[in-house]
Amino acid sequence: MKKGITSLVLIGLSLVLGACSLNAGVASLYKEETPLHAAIQIPASFKDNAEDVISIELEQNGERVESMESPDFLHAEIWKQDGSLSFPMEEVEQDEDGAFYVKKEFDEDGLYFIKLHASSNGSIITPKKQFIVGELSDEELEILQEGAQEEEVDHKHHH
Amino acid sequence: MDPIKEEMSNQVSEEKTKKQKRALFYKTVWRWHFYAGIIIAPFLLILAVTGSVYLFKPQIENMIYADFYDVTPQDERLADSEIIDQAKETHPGAVITSFRPGEDETRSSEVGLSSEGESLTVFVNPYTGDSLGELNDEDRIMDKIEEFHGELMVGTLGDRIVELAASWGVVLIVTGIFLWLPRKRKGLAGVVYPRFHKGKMTLQRDLHAVPAFWIAAGMFFLIMTGLPWSGFWGTNFQTIATNAGVGYPPSVWVGDAPSSGVQTKEIADVPWAAETLDVPKSNLQGLVPASIDDITSTAKREGVHPSYTVIFPNDEEGVYTLSAFPPKARDEITMHLDQYSGAVLADYRYDNYESIGKLVALGITLHKGTEFGIVNQLVSLAICLGIIFIVLSGFYLWWKRKPQHGMGAPKSGGLFNTKLFFIVLIGLGILFPLVGLSIICILLIDLLLIKRIPALRRFFNA
Repeated sequence: MKKGITSLVLIGLSLVLGACSLNAGVASLYKEETPLHAAIQIPASFKDNAEDVISIELEQNGERVESMESPDFLHAEIWKQDGSLSFPMEEVEQDEDGAFYVKKEFDEDGLYFIKLHASSNGSIITPKKQFIVGELSDEELEILQEGAQEEEVDHKHHH
Repeated sequence: MDPIKEEMSNQVSEEKTKKQKRALFYKTVWRWHFYAGIIIAPFLLILAVTGSVYLFKPQIENMIYADFYDVTPQDERLADSEIIDQAKETHPGAVITSFRPGEDETRSSEVGLSSEGESLTVFVNPYTGDSLGELNDEDRIMDKIEEFHGELMVGTLGDRIVELAASWGVVLIVTGIFLWLPRKRKGLAGVVYPRFHKGKMTLQRDLHAVPAFWIAAGMFFLIMTGLPWSGFWGTNFQTIATNAGVGYPPSVWVGDAPSSGVQTKEIADVPWAAETLDVPKSNLQGLVPASIDDITSTAKREGVHPSYTVIFPNDEEGVYTLSAFPPKARDEITMHLDQYSGAVLADYRYDNYESIGKLVALGITLHKGTEFGIVNQLVSLAICLGIIFIVLSGFYLWWKRKPQHGMGAPKSGGLFNTKLFFIVLIGLGILFPLVGLSIICILLIDLLLIKRIPALRRFFNA
């Protein structure tokens, strides 16, 4: 009888202490997404009075995305934080090697944003990158310090 | 003795031991039902009372928070980011933690923020940007009731006590059915309807046993659909189901959300307020988080139920989580979006739960009384009231029969003398480890204290 109780205690304890945890990679047992990923390459320095190239690489499911045929798309818009300059949304170009790029002249110093609108195999992304041409102004630094989020509402119209 | 007589007397004594065995069995079951009932009755009462109130949470909150919820629709709606800015203005320096746009055009938007260690919800009119008022999350009365229902307002310990009471509720149902089963065939009186004219004792018994039979299934259902919430049984159950690929996907109940697929160096730093123009440029260049407007338009595009809440990422690698748990299980969704690209990283809507997950989800909305609206609420209320009634009638039954000294429990027949019951008890103890653990404690107390101290032995009729 004593033995019975001891073994019961052991079973009970092992049940309680053996509380299980989630396996790594358990997500693969459920519906998985194949999110698109974009790498936006900003040039290290900008030329005066000449075009600069921003290159874009897309990756999905561990593979490079080479073509953007309908219904897939890749658009980009670029604007300056103070609103003095903006290149509206347009289709991104592709060179002979299949690399995507945007070519623009950035002659004014300041804080810029580039936002992509890309879709491939059902994954839609809108990554936004901020970059600096030349030097920042005091105002721009202040805006960054406050967290550069709000500018988009002014830049775009309301829903 | 002649052989015929001997055989007859053998039969008689065999029958006698059979009868004795049956009586012993009955007494043992009764004893367990008796003690379990007396100990957990108060908790079942708390669960049933708080549950009855909590069932009507939607109606109650719509009434007490009408001033916060209701808005008059207008043609132009502000952008979601502007709504959040309005809320921010009321609490400068607060961190935004969540945003709920509002499920229809007459519903205000809710901005969740954390300010000076407190979590607040600011209600904003999405057309004018006016603040309609704010609620400290700690002041939400229905949350208090939920806390009482789920953990007796004392955290983890309370959670375990509630779970223990609920699992012992199953033991009560099982032992109760044993006791209720008619032993001598004599019609349905005292089985499915009470006997009113057979004396007080009979009526007292029937007023407990008969209604208990009627609500047993409902009570069992409420226990089994409530347990997946519990901290110990529930968490383990959910983990096992998720691990086996048959439950909720990870992060809906157990497990972490995925993280945004970026490297830290890709992310733009926010310069410190004190930093001047010579702060390194390269640190400031990089990805910036998606705006809330992008996130809410993704929610629309993906067909997320309009009652969703956006939960903001809490670090650089975090995700935006869209979460909706509306009245009907099939509309549930938990969706994780990359903080920077807005990519859908995981789409865990009801349709993407696996079988057990779907079952549990449906059980939960039924338990909460939301799945079938008012009918669901009324049925659940009836079960709660039934539980209250049988707790009270059970208590009354004991009170009336109790001798002046001692508990009045049926005499212990020795657990190990009734094998079938012992096996059932072990089975329940394995199914509900907290029950198992408490049985072990009871046996130890019985063995070490009650059996050895005569006064206790008399009191417990051991």
